[in-house]
This record gives sequence, structure tokens and C-alpha cells, in this order.
Amino acid sequence: MDYASMLTELLKGLLVSVEIFFLTLLFALPLGLLIAFGRMSKNCIVSNIFRVYISIMRGTPLMLQLLVCFFGPYYLFRIPLTDPYRFIAVIIAFSLNYAAYFAEIYRSGIQSIPVGQYEAAGVLGLTPLQTFFRIIFPQVAKRVIPPVTNEVITLVKDTSLAFSIAVMEMFTMAKQIASAHTTMIPFVAAGAFYYIFNFLVAFCMERLEKRLDYYR
Amino acid sequence: MSKELLKIRNFSKTFGDLTVLKDISFSVKEGEVVSIIGPSGSGKTTLLRCAALLENVEKVDLAYEDLAVCKNGVYAAKNVLKEAKNYFGFVFQNFNLFPHYSVRENVTLAPLLVQKRNKEEVEKEFFILLEKMGLSGKENAYPCELSGGQQQRVAIARALATKPRILFFDEPTSALDPELTQEILKVIRDLAEEKMTMVIVTHEITFARNVSDRIIFMADGYIVEEGRAAQLVDHPQNERTKEFLAFISREN
Repeated sequence: MDYASMLTELLKGLLVSVEIFFLTLLFALPLGLLIAFGRMSKNCIVSNIFRVYISIMRGTPLMLQLLVCFFGPYYLFRIPLTDPYRFIAVIIAFSLNYAAYFAEIYRSGIQSIPVGQYEAAGVLGLTPLQTFFRIIFPQVAKRVIPPVTNEVITLVKDTSLAFSIAVMEMFTMAKQIASAHTTMIPFVAAGAFYYIFNFLVAFCMERLEKRLDYYR
Repeated sequence: MSKELLKIRNFSKTFGDLTVLKDISFSVKEGEVVSIIGPSGSGKTTLLRCAALLENVEKVDLAYEDLAVCKNGVYAAKNVLKEAKNYFGFVFQNFNLFPHYSVRENVTLAPLLVQKRNKEEVEKEFFILLEKMGLSGKENAYPCELSGGQQQRVAIARALATKPRILFFDEPTSALDPELTQEILKVIRDLAEEKMTMVIVTHEITFARNVSDRIIFMADGYIVEEGRAAQLVDHPQNERTKEFLAFISREN
């Protein structure tokens, strides 16, 4: 196998990894906010439900959650497994897992905003929704960028876990080519791609952080 | 005889087992400047925060003119509370400006978003307010770029921008050094000359004596003494008041 076709195969896989990456962020970032609200709920039943949810999501391996998501419908309800469902299962498992981490990051951000900000908004007559979206959330967003960057970088590498249910992402491709041609090169190339991917992610997040640097 | 703008009756407040305010009654007339003085923990800030709906109180009758906000601890409906918030502006000890908004956004947020007033009109008034606060040219600055005194003046402009009938100050100079304190006191003095109705919780006794019509001395959750400003400071009647004023003058 020549290098050109090897690279083409790997890049096809990279495209799938990128899809997993963006779709997970698309669902997990907002879902995390909802979970954070649940976790902070004054109703202790609600807050405990979310506490347990977060605890399970953080306390068990993502790979196991992925297998449960993929095989669960068949083992539990005898719903036949289809090929497109592989990819969907990855997105579901990743979103549910990452949302739990994001929720805790948001919670720490929200709780770090001084109560005076709520009071100032309150005496000006802002509604609770206006207070959250105009006053609190913009400040939370700035504060959570460093920990969110950490999670996002981990996510880039975690996309390789989709290998465990044979989704054709970059790592699965690399493994296949490597064993078919007994060569290390696809692993090295895949490693380089992951590194570049993360380099770009870190670069973008740094830019974003700088853009929000106009206030303290 | 000017009418009563703010009326508080039978106000009691407890935190756990601790009763911090005991059956306080208090009112402010239109155009009047009232200072509340007293030692820390006497309940003066709690009283002000109750009037500004920042504290939920179990037992109080609270009204702005004819608008009953709370009757015996039962608060009126949301729309009434919203209307009540148009009556007053509140200036905090720690300013509590919104750090992610410029001076302009801090001041014009409530008139535009809450009161839904015309943008041009609000902007025009904003620049007048800014000049009055001695902050011309600072409209695009962020709070972190301003001194404490400037931040507090922005906070006063923000409170005035909603055109309140009464302005509350909760120890407005306590977070400032003496020089910056003078900046703020001058602004308040100018407002008093314009007959702005104000309630000021403060430790600046001399300032309170000079700027207010009436002073209330609180201690241990009671209104111990109240009267005309100069009268109360120069010739206090109650032993507790004398003790406090003597202590303050020794400190200075």
C-alpha cells in the first residue's frame, strides 16, 4: 500500500473523528447547562437525581458507556442493531458523558459569581431569565474557558474510543492498515493528526480567551 | 406638606434565633434626605435592603406611596413588585457594576431592557448623567479600568438612569479611601441640593449631619433615637446615642 492511499484512508477516518467531535460538543455543551441547573435545583429530589447521574457518568469508563449505548437496545429490548446506529450510539454516549463533566464546570462557574451581581440586576428590575443570560452567563463563559478547554482536548483523543464498536474513525483505520500491512506508519501518522487537531483546538480556545480579556 | 413616599410599619426580622430588627416603623417624605447611622450589626443595612426588596421579610408592611408591596409579610404579585422597583434606585457598598459591560451598557441596560424606553432618549440622558457624575469621556471604559470612586459614580448613574423617585445608599463610601470618599459625598450633596429623595446608611457622621434633613440612630435592632440632623448629632438625648457619637468622634 502506497503512502498516498494510506493517508487518504486515514483522512477519511479523521473526518469521522471530527464529526464525532463537533456533534458531541453541539449536544453536550447545552445539555451540560441543563444538568448543572438540575444539580443546583433547590428541590432535593431533583438535585440528587442529577448528582447520581453525574457520579455514574464520571465514575465509569466511557468505553463501557459506549458499549452499553450500542448493545443495550438489543440486549434489553431485542431491537436489531443497524450499521448507522453505530455512529448514533457514539454521539449519544459521548454527549451524555461529556455533558456531566461540562455540568460540573458550569456549576463551579455559576457559583463563583458574587451574589451582588444578582442583587444589582434585581434592583434594576431584570427578570431571573434576563439576569442569567445578560449578567451571569457571559461572566461564567469567560471563567470556564480554561477547564472547558481541558475537556475539549480530552474529547479529541477520546474520539478514538469509538474503535470499540467498530466505527470507522481515524484510530480504527490506523489499526486496520497497521495490521494489514505490518507497519507502524499509520500509528505515527494518526498520532500526528491527533496532535495537530489538538494544537488547533488549543489555538482557537486561546484566541477566544484573549477576546474576552477586555474585562476582569 | 409633602406626601410619604416610602412607608415601613411593624418590621421585624430574625436570622435563626437572632432577632435583628424589632418592630421598626419608618417613613420617608418626598424630597427628604434621611441618614441611618449606628454601630455594625444594628440592622440599618437590613432595613434598607428590606425597602429595596432584597430581603424576604416575615413581618412587615411596606408601601411606596399608595402601592402596597407587602402586608404583614405577604408580598404582592410579581407585577406589583416590578412596579415598586421603578420607585427606587439602589447604590451598593461594593458598587456591583457588571464587569463585562462598558459604562454605557451598565447605565443604559435597565432603561432599555426593563423600561423599554426609546434608545435615542436614553442615550441623550446617559450623556447628561455622565457629565453630572464628572465621568465625561468614560462612556466606553470598563469598570476594571476605573478607580473605586469612579466605579461608585457609575453605580450612582446606573441607579439614577431608571429615574427613581427615591435613592438608597448602602454605606456608599465604606469600600473607598478618604480621598475617593469625598468624591462620592460631593455627588450625594449635589443630589440633595436638587431635592432628590434619599436614604443613606453611613458611618460618615459629619457628612450625615450636613447633608440630611433627618437622622435615625439604630442600635441592637431598634430605632433608638431620631430627629433633625443637627439636633441629633449636636444634642443627642439618649445615652446610647451619646455613647456612639462620643466613640465615633474619638476614633476620628
